[in-house]
Amino acid sequence: MSALTLAGLIFACMLVLMAARVPIAIAMFVAGVFGYLYQVGPAPFLNNLNGLAYARFASYDLSVIPLFILMGNFATQGGISKALFQFASVIMARFRGGLAMAAVMASAAFGAICGSSIATAATITSVALPEMKRHGYSGRLATGTLAAGGTLGILIPPSVPLVIYAILTEQNIAKLFAAATIPGLIAMCGYLIAIAVYVRLFPGHAPEHDDDRPRMTLAGVMAVAPIAIIFLIVFGGIYGGLFTPTEGAGVGAAATFVAALLRRELTLKKIAHCFYATAAASAMIFLIFIGADMMNAALALTQVPAQLASVIQGWKIAPVLVVSGILLFYVVLGAVMDELSMILLTIPIFFPVVMGLDFGLPKESVAIWFGIMVLMTVGFGLLAPPVGLNVYVVNGMAKDVPIGESYKGVMPFLVSDVLRTVLLLAFPPISLWLVKYVG
Amino acid sequence: MKTLSFLARLCAVLAGVILTAITLVTCASLIGRNTIGVTLVGDYELTAAAAGAAVALFLPWCQLRRENIIVDFFTARASVRTNALLDRFGALMLGAIMLLLAWRTAVGGISAFRSNSTTMMLGFPEWIVYSAMVPPMVLTAVIALVQTARGDFAEKGQ
Repeated sequence: MSALTLAGLIFACMLVLMAARVPIAIAMFVAGVFGYLYQVGPAPFLNNLNGLAYARFASYDLSVIPLFILMGNFATQGGISKALFQFASVIMARFRGGLAMAAVMASAAFGAICGSSIATAATITSVALPEMKRHGYSGRLATGTLAAGGTLGILIPPSVPLVIYAILTEQNIAKLFAAATIPGLIAMCGYLIAIAVYVRLFPGHAPEHDDDRPRMTLAGVMAVAPIAIIFLIVFGGIYGGLFTPTEGAGVGAAATFVAALLRRELTLKKIAHCFYATAAASAMIFLIFIGADMMNAALALTQVPAQLASVIQGWKIAPVLVVSGILLFYVVLGAVMDELSMILLTIPIFFPVVMGLDFGLPKESVAIWFGIMVLMTVGFGLLAPPVGLNVYVVNGMAKDVPIGESYKGVMPFLVSDVLRTVLLLAFPPISLWLVKYVG
Repeated sequence: MKTLSFLARLCAVLAGVILTAITLVTCASLIGRNTIGVTLVGDYELTAAAAGAAVALFLPWCQLRRENIIVDFFTARASVRTNALLDRFGALMLGAIMLLLAWRTAVGGISAFRSNSTTMMLGFPEWIVYSAMVPPMVLTAVIALVQTARGDFAEKGQ
């Protein structure tokens, strides 16, 4: 059997299992097992398994993932989102669609201490959706805004998908976080503009005049101060080289825990909920790591991924077109597959291809920029039909809004996503500018 | 099933406590390093070892709640019965793989014990981490196999 046929069979096996609702991690693992067994036989296969789980689970670099997830859950249960939304609504009250804009800003701020888009979407929705309804916002605009705002959870650092990209490609997490900062802020501004344009083009989705304006209070400012302080400590420390990303996540989780305790929001029951939510999210990610490891080991043995890089180099097409092609492929694949699995499965194959191209930039800059581009596509996949995970999460919390309305609601934000992605694709310096200041 | 659910909860809470403890050790280590210049020896290794145990302890709860991501795009129009049947098949595969991993991790742990493998700075024996990982893996497999035999847990939705 030729190498290409074998690689194709491994992929086909994985896709069939996935289509049959087998957990993605297990589908990748089983397909990998067949490919591996066929190529090297049982003894080396069993030996390879001995340390597989240990190597991934007991890894210092990877321990940053459960720590950031724990930090996000402490923030979620600690009532911090409510303070953020109230503060943002005071600032944005004067604008038409101000509450929707406030939801976007609160999502961005929450995203600065939470690395998960679903957690951000769910948390901000629980505080912002009732308020937006009370003020007469349409279900379409409210759910669309909250689903889009949720993606700021990963677009603004910390970001779990970006950490996974950094680990797979052996890049510096601090530099990738720095690179994501400006694109994340552009994303937030793009969403604010999308709202401003939408409420003018399609009147009736937001109140024309909203006289029920909250006022700035000292208590309101004090309530958001801890979040700003935690963010400054964690990222100041990581960017300044004072501590590693794992230490930053540890300090951030401890500080968020204390801040939530001081707000007197954290009961024993809520702490247990933090642990359950962290358990579900972390175990899911680590199991996908194990499955992708097996699958990628089997594929690497076929040599097909290595050959792919030289084949594509031989085509002599413009590098930026190759990257655009990969991103388009992600958009298509993202319609059926979740984004973390997609990154874990395809980055080991596509990354060598991209690194083999000549962009006229240093290799490290290309790696960082490509990571940001992948992150943008992940954000897009979380909103786009047919399966936008964020849209499902927010829509599930808004009982009376049909899912079709929510998908209509995310359209202006998808337009903003596409424009931003093209901008970042065309101008790598936007992403790379902050990186040089990382210590 | 109540017992399994209780054990899965216990594992998740234990792992949460371990992770929270790591955050406190990290703070102590950082404060020591940046103020009085005292470094906690082997804090990275301690973090890695504790995270290894914690992640394994997170597995049973994740499977109990069926939080492992599946693709439901292709079966969205299939009947509830078909999907329930497929989910049982998925649980069977996961249970089998988890048993395989538990077995090989146990073998890995035994060989780490025989060769006295330890971490570099602390000299912490690696087999301890291996042996902390095996029981939750077995528990995860048992939960998945019970889900195969009897469908979802009543305790799932909490």
